[in-house]
Amino acid sequence: MWYKIIEIIDWFGEMTERYKLIRDFNKAGKNAFIAGITPTLLEAKITNGDSNYRHQFSKFLGGGYRIKALSGRPLNREEMIEIGKIILENKELVRKLIALGWDTLEVHDNSGFNGCKWPLKDYANIGGYLN
Amino acid sequence: MNFLQIAIKDTIQQTNLIEKINSNSINIWHYIAFGEFLIILSLVFYIIYLKRRQTLSKFEKEILEAKNTDIDMDDLMLSINKSRELYKELSRKCHPDQHMNSEFQKEIEELFQEITKNKRNFQELVKLKDIAANKYNIKMN
Repeated sequence: MWYKIIEIIDWFGEMTERYKLIRDFNKAGKNAFIAGITPTLLEAKITNGDSNYRHQFSKFLGGGYRIKALSGRPLNREEMIEIGKIILENKELVRKLIALGWDTLEVHDNSGFNGCKWPLKDYANIGGYLN
Repeated sequence: MNFLQIAIKDTIQQTNLIEKINSNSINIWHYIAFGEFLIILSLVFYIIYLKRRQTLSKFEKEILEAKNTDIDMDDLMLSINKSRELYKELSRKCHPDQHMNSEFQKEIEELFQEITKNKRNFQELVKLKDIAANKYNIKMN
């Protein structure tokens, strides 16, 4: 019974961590855009993700980490891949995303349904357990 | 008779007053007891949590550590938008072919490998740019 209660407390703790990560990303994106450092406004949000990319830490109906780019024009495929690769090469961020229950990284532009997605477990290298 | 009635009324009033006082004091003690109970409960949770952390497997500890790492989002934003330009500049200026007969030829080759390895990490590229400019006297923009 104690463990169930602790699991519930852990669940709430993880939810706050997840929203903190999203909030930090959005804040940094906004600041960089306002300061003129970046020409593109990036926004992160939680989506359902791809069920094929699930792992044992995936959150139900919340496994997708989507980055939306507002660039004033549609982003081409190379630009989306570049954004995705930069995120995926940041090992600490990928491990944190996996630990907090995300399984899919998605990069979309602000209009339309075009986008790219990657399974996070392929880029984590956590002891080989997830594969 | 009147005197008796007044006496009975007085006693009833007094007992009501005492009951009121008693009921208020009981409420206060209830709150204090409830607060103590919450404190004890939270301490018990904390002890169980600590014990559980001690018995975690290596993999679970790794996951917990990953959860607690701080990510520099400003650096990530710079990497997304600026690292490409910086990488292009560095790879052009620090290319080993441009320093064939230099005294630092080997070091510059290693530097170029580092630049290629960190092509999407803005913070690391800035550090490598400083090394190239200060240590090997490569002119940068």
